[in-house]
Amino acid sequence: MTSQDTALELTQPSRLQRQYYAVIAGRIGLALLLLAAWKTGADRAGPVYVADPFQVIERIFVDTQSGVLLRHIYVTLRLSAMGFAIGCFFGVALPFLLRRMPRLTNAVEPYIMASVGVPKYALVPLFILWFGIDDAPKLWLVGLLVFYPIFIAVFAGIRNVDRRLINMARIVGASETKISREVIWNSLLPFFFAALKIALPRAVSAAIIGEFLVGNEGLGYMIEYSRQNFDTTGVFAGIVVATALVLVINAMLVEVDRRFNAWRPTERHMEL
Amino acid sequence: MAGQPLLEIHDLSKRFAQRAGREPPPWVIQDLSFTVGEGEFLTIIGPSGSGKTTLLNMIAQIDSASGGSVRFQSQIAPIADPKALNPGLSCQIGYVTQEDNLLPWRTTLRNVLFPLEVQGRLNDETRAHAQMLIRAVGLAGFEDHYPHELSGGMRKRASLIRTLVYDPPVILMDEPFGALDAQTRAQLQEDLLRLWDLGRKTIVFVTHDIAEAIALGDRTLVLTRAPARIAGEHKITIPRPRDIRGIMTHSEFGPLYQRIRAELQ
Ligand SMILES: Nc1ncnc2c1ncn2[C@@H]1O[C@H](COP(=O)(O)OP(=O)(O)O)[C@@H](O)[C@H]1O
Ligand SMILES: [Mg+2]
Repeated sequence: MTSQDTALELTQPSRLQRQYYAVIAGRIGLALLLLAAWKTGADRAGPVYVADPFQVIERIFVDTQSGVLLRHIYVTLRLSAMGFAIGCFFGVALPFLLRRMPRLTNAVEPYIMASVGVPKYALVPLFILWFGIDDAPKLWLVGLLVFYPIFIAVFAGIRNVDRRLINMARIVGASETKISREVIWNSLLPFFFAALKIALPRAVSAAIIGEFLVGNEGLGYMIEYSRQNFDTTGVFAGIVVATALVLVINAMLVEVDRRFNAWRPTERHMEL
Repeated sequence: MAGQPLLEIHDLSKRFAQRAGREPPPWVIQDLSFTVGEGEFLTIIGPSGSGKTTLLNMIAQIDSASGGSVRFQSQIAPIADPKALNPGLSCQIGYVTQEDNLLPWRTTLRNVLFPLEVQGRLNDETRAHAQMLIRAVGLAGFEDHYPHELSGGMRKRASLIRTLVYDPPVILMDEPFGALDAQTRAQLQEDLLRLWDLGRKTIVFVTHDIAEAIALGDRTLVLTRAPARIAGEHKITIPRPRDIRGIMTHSEFGPLYQRIRAELQ
């Protein structure tokens, strides 16, 4: 921040504050508008197709009190987290391993890139065939869907690391391990966080889809079970809870990103 | 300069690898030989694009040579084989590069401490030394700033003391003050000479500025346009400590400046 920016901010705090409140008010207004649209749509289409928003809220409340909903959330979160951890681990570790083996990298790169194109959801029947109907096929699905965005981002990030910084680190005596941990890891953090923004919501979505197909617990199961019983309110309740879950995860990610990347120059005018 | 030179460059040559479908690239450096004595401040002047950075990269061993040899303390360094390169020659050759190359996610202090940290030499004594250097170049109060929050001159100072902090016997400097305004540049030249007086390292300082080469060096080499050869060599006997801002008025300065300029044509 230059001294000029500071001066600007000091002389016009009220203008900035007014803008800030206007944005908040706009957001609340939009939320109310969406709720009204949902309510109108529900009244027009009938409860079989679109559940009444207030009944959905009531259902979420009741299911939370009985503990059923919390159990479903726990099961889905656990599956997402485990699958995410596996996919994330390989997505980060593999590019670091390949960095040490440029020839192997050149050999396998086209195959890895081609495998990006395989529709992962289409593999679920195979996973069930191979790994049974426990958590394993779902973990494979979540893991794969998380792996690709992270692998691609970290791989590209490693290629984009400033050679001059690596040379500097070598000259002052840094070991390859230290270079990986310090120079390469920090250089690719922005890439990594960009990938997380895709991978984390994906993990939850993939877990839910996995639960549609296999098992008898979790938000996906809850949504699918409700549908089979013509319980549209249950379907909507599941969707609302899943959306809230993803939003909470994203908010946490933004906060972590902010802390990890505090060193990056911020573009102040973007925040206004 | 007593006895065996510390650094011997012999018949050093470089041409970059050919790209597919292009003509073979010309020699950037051809059969370049010179020596640097222990504790000597050697300046090298050459026009832009004459291969000065390439030369230092080879001596620092972050780039391989196409021919010739580099000896340090009479030990030959295998710099023809890209796989055998030993960047910085086990922390014996420091390199202040043309760009500051500070780690953008580290604060000033942590950038300066970086070499000590990776060498496992971070302790109270070396920390105090780092603090002393930070104060000596006027960076006190900016220890917790990130590089993007510093001015160009401050970043240069930080990168300079990042090399000084671990005390390598030889320091290579690649136009370190090239991009600065005249005032900042003079200030940094003074800082450098003052710090050099404290430790008397061996310095190879590359520049395209004749006045700078004369003001700083014990001796200066003049390079031709690529392929770089030595067009002239001059001892500079202006006594130290030198007054950088007033050096133009010294009787030795004018004639030397003219001769070097003629050689650069
Ligand atoms: N990596 C490279 N690949 C090909 N040519 C290069 C490379 N680096 C430098 N050169 C060429 O070598 C010559 C000398 O460059 P350089 O050493 O940077 O000169 P100086 O530092 O004296 O300005 C230039 O003609 C430049 O184009
Ligand atoms: Mg250069």
